[in-house]
Amino acid sequence: MTKFQKFRQSHWYGLLILVLIAFVFWAFFKALAPQTFGDLDKLQTYLKTALYYAVGGCGLYFICVMGPFDMSVGANIVLSSVLAVNMSERFGYAGLLIAPMLSGALVGLLNGLVYIKLRISSLIVTAGLSLVYEALSIYATNGKEAILAANYRAFGDYPGNLILALMAFFLCGFILKYTKIGTYTYAIGSNEVVAKNMGVDVDMYKVVAFVLCGFFVGVEAVLTISYGTSMTSASNLASMSRNFPPLMGTFFGLAFKKYGHPVIAIVIGEFIIQLLFQGFVALGAPTTVQNIVTGIVLLAIVTMTIKPVKGAVVK
Amino acid sequence: MSEVLLHAEGIDKNFGVTHAVDHVTLDFYKGEVHALIGENGSGKSTFTSCLTGIYHKDTGTFTLNGKEIHAKNQVDGNYQGVAIIVQEIGTLSGLTVAENIFLGKENEFTTFCVKNTNAMNKKAQELLDSYGFNYIKATDIIDKYNFEDRKLIEIVKATHFKPQILVVDETTTALGEKGRKELFKVMKETRDDGRCVIFISHDLDEVIEQSDNISVLRDGVLIDTVKSADVNTDDLKKLMVGREMSNNYYRADYGEKISSEVVLKGEHLTVPGEIQDFSIELHKGEIIGIGGLSECGMHEVGKALFGASYDREGKVTLADGTEINDIKTAIDHSIAYASKDRDNESLVINDTIQDNIVLPSIENLKRNHILHAKDEKAFAEKFAKQMSTKMEGVHQFMSALSGGNKQKVVLARWIGKDSDIIILDSPTRGIDVKVKADIYQMMDHMRKNGKSIIMISEEISELLGMADRIIIMKNGRQSGEFERSEVLKDTDLIAKMV
Repeated sequence: MTKFQKFRQSHWYGLLILVLIAFVFWAFFKALAPQTFGDLDKLQTYLKTALYYAVGGCGLYFICVMGPFDMSVGANIVLSSVLAVNMSERFGYAGLLIAPMLSGALVGLLNGLVYIKLRISSLIVTAGLSLVYEALSIYATNGKEAILAANYRAFGDYPGNLILALMAFFLCGFILKYTKIGTYTYAIGSNEVVAKNMGVDVDMYKVVAFVLCGFFVGVEAVLTISYGTSMTSASNLASMSRNFPPLMGTFFGLAFKKYGHPVIAIVIGEFIIQLLFQGFVALGAPTTVQNIVTGIVLLAIVTMTIKPVKGAVVK
Repeated sequence: MSEVLLHAEGIDKNFGVTHAVDHVTLDFYKGEVHALIGENGSGKSTFTSCLTGIYHKDTGTFTLNGKEIHAKNQVDGNYQGVAIIVQEIGTLSGLTVAENIFLGKENEFTTFCVKNTNAMNKKAQELLDSYGFNYIKATDIIDKYNFEDRKLIEIVKATHFKPQILVVDETTTALGEKGRKELFKVMKETRDDGRCVIFISHDLDEVIEQSDNISVLRDGVLIDTVKSADVNTDDLKKLMVGREMSNNYYRADYGEKISSEVVLKGEHLTVPGEIQDFSIELHKGEIIGIGGLSECGMHEVGKALFGASYDREGKVTLADGTEINDIKTAIDHSIAYASKDRDNESLVINDTIQDNIVLPSIENLKRNHILHAKDEKAFAEKFAKQMSTKMEGVHQFMSALSGGNKQKVVLARWIGKDSDIIILDSPTRGIDVKVKADIYQMMDHMRKNGKSIIMISEEISELLGMADRIIIMKNGRQSGEFERSEVLKDTDLIAKMV
């Protein structure tokens, strides 16, 4: 095996590809819109947004690796954010941090339990429960906009946001690599029956994955409300659009899983998506064009990275 | 006789109306290899699955070293002193080799919920090295290794903690020469160490050679236990089937003239990394056998001829000049293919027998463009019964059938389709003697009715017994060709394989 072939199989190869992709997009838009795109200040702003999506992406990763799906991420963010605002008014930063993490985890627990007990598709379960979470967010705000007080916005900017996000990333990486939960997450995703035969409590670990997903989404809610400073309750599945930004990062994590650094892939992946969005904004492209190109680029990157085996079954 | 190590008392297991294991009482002794044999669906695997925690028995007890054991799952079984190596792949993709070896046993490396990954990797590597598998790296993702290496990892996983009872369930058919050698070495060590191996295999010669005692199951009932030294394969066949079996269930004819009509021609077929410049001409009413060592490329030939190979070069044509480049064209032009990988490539396991049989014949069954459930059922029943499939009914799910009965469903499907060219890859893999005899009879019948068959097989006796012509492959290329003859010997074929 040549040195290059060895390098291609190493963990660092995937990382290098991601960094290169990010650089190529940055250079592309920088060349087209040198005044309005990509200087250091703006890159920090892109990263800020990427960070909080990536935290949610880390949570979704636990579920997507196993096979199910969570359509309630958006509703969870809305509910956890309004609760964060309410609790910060009573308990200060403790309320801002603990309430959304707790409510996020409880939402995850409910998702997981209903999914396991009813034995129906996770898509249906989480989409259905989203309506409930949205309704709860209306009760929590009486239909009004929840605004985070100016003295509790430390996690909306550097370094607070970075510290919180890094803690979440380390926690996610740690769980995946250094706990049974990580091993069982991959084992269940690989073959549920064999995992069960090996003594893995499949149902319990699926619920654990939903709880973790909810918890990380709760952290995302802290960052979201701190950065955006206000949140309006949602109804009629209006929160659905919030499902997709973290999911894009999860796609990168799944695609780069084989290189052993899914969390880093999620973070850089979200940053790449932000470069794309912001690049189009800088070029003045309409939103529809932005969405089309971003969607195509996302598919292209993931397809090229995975290099699917011909004939392999993909579900 | 030495001391009893494991006593099974009245083990009983039902799956719906199927009585899979019927009050089996049996002793296993210290320092023995105890073979379990029987037809497909006789209850061997169900019995050992109850022992090792894959299934839960309905009634009965297992007593190991005087203490009753109840394995809740495989890992729990390991802690209670029993382990199993299964027929199909038992390792998990996406995990490292070390994680696979210690799956379910992470607590041995965990302190305060934190897993010591380095210690786990180190221990796994030590084990792999001690078995002589030092080319396998504990830190590698297991997907990097081929089927046989993954089986070797499973051997380490199942035996490194020296279980009192080691179950080897029809594993040898999945292994090549190297893997078998390693497995037999581990089995011998287990026996010499005063522990016990329960060995399940359909290869009766192998059973007699490797075991000390043999227990025969039929329809879930224990028929007899005999000493390996006192029996031959015919005795075992009689016990398994319940009547005398003809010693030679292969074709008896020699020197029959084969039609000159070529029905399928493969020219210069190459699939990168699998086969190189392979050419073949199949005649009407002919059986061509393709053999070789398991990694010689012969299994890919079947796919290449069926249009199922990717990146195939060369040409496959029918007598009328139609080129076969994809599966749909192949099926539309009356070509059938039964893969070696029955569960993953031939059958829809989570579906019924009926749907599996009907699948390629749906168009033929339509009346006025509409498919009638009654017709589908009648069609499936007709061909399932023709193949003597053991089932509750065609509504039964495939996953509940034994290996041999699954294969019967595969064959029923293609008989129902009335295909003219049939490609059978390892048609009797993991199948008992009775079903084997049925399949050989069916092949002979088809041949006589002008059907043409390509039979890919790792069993030399099957090739010698059934084929009009035998092509031997080595390293992806054709290394020899033999005409059917009474004087042709297995050594002639082996000489071209190695």
